[in-house]
Amino acid sequence: MTNLEKYDSVFIDVLEIEQSDLTDSLEYQSIDTWDSVAHMALIAELEDLFDISLEMDDVIDFGSYKTGIKTLEKYDVKF
Amino acid sequence: MAFKLNAEELKKYQPNRYPFLMIDSVTEVEPGKYAKGYKNLSNNEWYFPVHFPGGPNMPGALQLEAMAQMLTVALTTIDGLEGKVTHALKHTVRFRKEVLPGEQLIIEATISSWKRGICKGKAVGMTDGEVACEAEMMITIPEILEDYLPKK
Repeated sequence: MTNLEKYDSVFIDVLEIEQSDLTDSLEYQSIDTWDSVAHMALIAELEDLFDISLEMDDVIDFGSYKTGIKTLEKYDVKF
Repeated sequence: MAFKLNAEELKKYQPNRYPFLMIDSVTEVEPGKYAKGYKNLSNNEWYFPVHFPGGPNMPGALQLEAMAQMLTVALTTIDGLEGKVTHALKHTVRFRKEVLPGEQLIIEATISSWKRGICKGKAVGMTDGEVACEAEMMITIPEILEDYLPKK
């Protein structure tokens, strides 16, 4: 499984969405299931999956599916 | 290091007040790890006359609240969190027996994780040496959680 596939699977599982929902327009609070609790669950799952620990500023900046990839790249996760 | 809190002392860490303070004493708390204590159930509890006439027992929602309040004490005794207001996010509860007037509901709450304003934990309530209720809970301190959310 590639890192992108792993990344996608976390979004699909935590936000209870489909692969087709993973678009550049997917943002925090753009759908009902991406609320404050889900945001923290998303971050926690990604940290576990990629064995990283995000800084506070990066958790805050993680505002969309698209920007999340850039955030993880800062932690040497290759896509 | 563990310590205890009497009925007055626990109010520093638990913002609920009568008639919604559902714990009487904290017999042992280790901040960030666990809290143990109890709620004594006298015939004078405000809900017994109405829940139910002729068959008084502690409402399940209040048993859950008692467990959540004990978990809150385990959390808010952490340095810097004293007096912070917590909100419930998600609870899964199982009720196993009625909790009756004259009994003591002994509660043990344990924190499994505390990160970025969200606390996950579990608790069990016992009467007469038997499990009466148990729950897995998720609570938050909103003012801390807010700091970690993307800005719209």
